[in-house]
Amino acid sequence: MELEGKKILVIQTHGVEAPTRTYSPLYYAVAAAAMEMEVMVWFTMNGTNQLRKGVAEMIKLDPSSNVCLKDMLQMCLDNDVKLAVCQQSLNLWNMTPDDLIDGVEILGATSIIDLALSYDHVMYF
Amino acid sequence: MVERVNNCVIPKDLYYKVEDNTWVKLNDDGTVTVGMTDIAQSLAGPILHAKTKKIGMYRKRGKPIATVESGKWVGPIKAPVSGEIAEINEELENDPKLLNKSPYRKGWVVKLKPDNLDEELKDLVTGDEAVAKYREKIEAEGLQCTHLEGTDSYED
Repeated sequence: MELEGKKILVIQTHGVEAPTRTYSPLYYAVAAAAMEMEVMVWFTMNGTNQLRKGVAEMIKLDPSSNVCLKDMLQMCLDNDVKLAVCQQSLNLWNMTPDDLIDGVEILGATSIIDLALSYDHVMYF
Repeated sequence: MVERVNNCVIPKDLYYKVEDNTWVKLNDDGTVTVGMTDIAQSLAGPILHAKTKKIGMYRKRGKPIATVESGKWVGPIKAPVSGEIAEINEELENDPKLLNKSPYRKGWVVKLKPDNLDEELKDLVTGDEAVAKYREKIEAEGLQCTHLEGTDSYED
């Protein structure tokens, strides 16, 4: 199967309250990008709170490692994985666009429905 | 022929794409061997999985020739020059840590039949220039290379 050019949408609904559920979706996203797929990670519900400036730096899975969640988010951006957040979920966390880390696009619910239909595969976490 | 900077091994006879941490070796048969550097393997940590692209696939410079995963890192190894994949290192599938232990020898990734080598080599560095560029990068980023047990000594 030719993988190049396929589109994967990763939906992340987990955030800082569940650190062990934060890394893998981003890891999959970067892996798919490295395999030359077009990838977007869509953060909604609790997933949104990891995008607040200064928060992802505090999330470390392995205390002995110097890798934090911010590194994973940056790895996404470095590999052209698009990061997008649900407009409505910002309100849930009393966040404004200024609170978001750089590189995150804000989209509404209708956009995500359109995207979900246009991508080849959706991975939901 | 081998220089060490902050424990990072830099063979002087290879050509390097410094920003991508890849190397190119020119072979007598016109192919080039490509791999990742000691710095790349140190940054990635112990490699758990390596998946190369298929033989016969044409790779433009900058496109992935393989995908590499460690516990903390996943990403592409980018082709430092354009060409068709002529051979892949099948050992990597069973023993991906060859990338850590012998990044310049047993851990080579693919051989390419380059189609624009003379031009593209101009963007790579070799010899003392490569060592100088890496020294600059290693010092600027505070890098230190780490080696697994059984790593190549490069003394022969």
